Amino acid sequence: MSSGLDVVTRSGAIREEGRKLLAFLRRDVLVAWSYRLPFVTDWVGMVLQALVFGFVGKLIPPSALPRFGGEPVDYLEFVAVGIAIASFLAVGLSRLMTVIRQEQVQGTLEALLLTPTAWSTIEIGSAFYDILYVPVRTAIFLGITAVFFDASYHLAGVVPAAAVLIAFIPFVWGLGVISAAATLTFRRGAGGVGFIVSIATLGSGAFFPLAVLPGWAQAVAEYNPIAIAVTAMREALLGGSTWVDVWPSILQLIPMSGLAMILGAVAFRAAIARERRRGTLGLY
Amino acid sequence: MSGSDVPTDIVGAPMEPLLTESRAEASDEGFPALDVVDVHRRFRDVEALKGVTLEVWPGEIHALLGPNGAGKTTLLRILVGLLIPDAGDVGVLGQPLDVMTSRHFRRSFGFVPSGDRSFYLRISGLENLLFFARLHGLAKRQAVIRSRELLSMVGLEEAAGRRVGLYSHGMQKRLSVARALLTEPRILFVDEATHDLDPKGAEQIRELVRDQARSGVAVVWTTQRVEEIRGFADHVTLLQTGTVRFQGTVPQLLASVPRRRFLLRVRPGEDPAAMRDTVAGLAELREGSDPEHVVLGIAEGETLGRAIAALERAGVSILACTEEGSGVEEAFLFLTREDSL
Repeated sequence: MSSGLDVVTRSGAIREEGRKLLAFLRRDVLVAWSYRLPFVTDWVGMVLQALVFGFVGKLIPPSALPRFGGEPVDYLEFVAVGIAIASFLAVGLSRLMTVIRQEQVQGTLEALLLTPTAWSTIEIGSAFYDILYVPVRTAIFLGITAVFFDASYHLAGVVPAAAVLIAFIPFVWGLGVISAAATLTFRRGAGGVGFIVSIATLGSGAFFPLAVLPGWAQAVAEYNPIAIAVTAMREALLGGSTWVDVWPSILQLIPMSGLAMILGAVAFRAAIARERRRGTLGLY
Repeated sequence: MSGSDVPTDIVGAPMEPLLTESRAEASDEGFPALDVVDVHRRFRDVEALKGVTLEVWPGEIHALLGPNGAGKTTLLRILVGLLIPDAGDVGVLGQPLDVMTSRHFRRSFGFVPSGDRSFYLRISGLENLLFFARLHGLAKRQAVIRSRELLSMVGLEEAAGRRVGLYSHGMQKRLSVARALLTEPRILFVDEATHDLDPKGAEQIRELVRDQARSGVAVVWTTQRVEEIRGFADHVTLLQTGTVRFQGTVPQLLASVPRRRFLLRVRPGEDPAAMRDTVAGLAELREGSDPEHVVLGIAEGETLGRAIAALERAGVSILACTEEGSGVEEAFLFLTREDSL
């Protein structure tokens, strides 16, 4: 039997789903604002982190670090970009992983599912606040290192670096959705995903030059999306690379991001279908 | 009811057809708001629903009764699309359940879940309603107007700006009713809405739901507070271990169990032992909580009239006689007792 009652056009439905993202954003801004202390501690934490690496940097001579654009860099500059990407990954991933769990635990997941809202909207909407907040936070962290710790970045590299970040975001999103699927299925079993990400971050050169890794790990790092993003962003922000220089990295990231997105979507839909079959969606 | 099986009572006798003329006439469209036919659902080795069939018509409050584990919540979760049945058909407003996942159908029903855990406790009642209104597709302005209107209707106007975490159980439940009504649904599912409320709070919720039924909304009301369905529900489905034990009106439910215990008020000074001898064979008599009252348990095959007549012939002065306990509760216990399975 045809429903025949859904007169909402496809474009109308897409617009409606888009408007719902704003409702999610409003909700999460209000919730975040109701917890003011974590805001403050997060920002203070960023300053302290910069301070720690500033001091560590005094022990590491620029000669021990790779050059970017032919110029030497100090450790704080080097690690700040790595930290920015690693934090971006960690916050983005953990948030995506926890939002569904939070909805489950506070009992709102089923209430969301009873509204005429697409799953993809619930996925994106639940993390929309962080999708906007995390890049801002990343930029603020780099700004703090520049203003208070004399880190020097090439302004001309900001736009190419942003392009690298944009190509990298779907990869983080894909991993996050896989984590969310694992959370739905195993409740507390998302630690496995976190472990894999930790290994990937370790081999990404976020905190030290890839040259210090064993040869095989360096070879693996060539295919590690996190390493590719970190290196390309360093080239842009520290070496002043142009579009032409970062373009090969972006081309490398796009299929990896696409694959992560596809795997994430498949895993999430499979997890939802399983929960509905078993009738355990609201259980935690 | 689209199935051919006529529901029977616990002894297998055909029950009054559920689709009475008056119920059919109550629906302008000529079909029930909800048509559940032979629904089965199994969780591993537990068969939670074993062929449940029921209909709910517009404007009707249909109570779903049953002890813990009877399958009420499972059925409700199937009806709102959160759970997929293993077998059987569910029709909603004349459409099969599988299209209920579409936007139109999700706007057609409201759901009041049991418990309080379905709101964002850190934001206000108004903001919660606005959020869900937007997810239901209401435009911003429309969402504000509707949310305020509903908050006023459920008596939460003054608490609109207060965090939901600071609401009492009763207030959260009323907010839940308000959320369920955001889209002016044609079917309202209410799951154990009053189980943790005080009598006044419970009555407020029932009154809100009653108003909806008066305006033509079909209501499915699950409860374990069996006494509340008297004077409230129009029809009852009693579930036990996934099986329908009874279907019919509340008076039919009350009539399904013979009255067995009565509280007699007698003139002070009557001798209970003598009274006991008088009704021997007709009833069992025990002393009440005070000298003016005795409890009469009518023997199988006997009637209250015979027992009272015997007492009066013996000169006992009976001042009043009332049914002891809740009729609905007795029916519930009678129909769900182990040996009735």
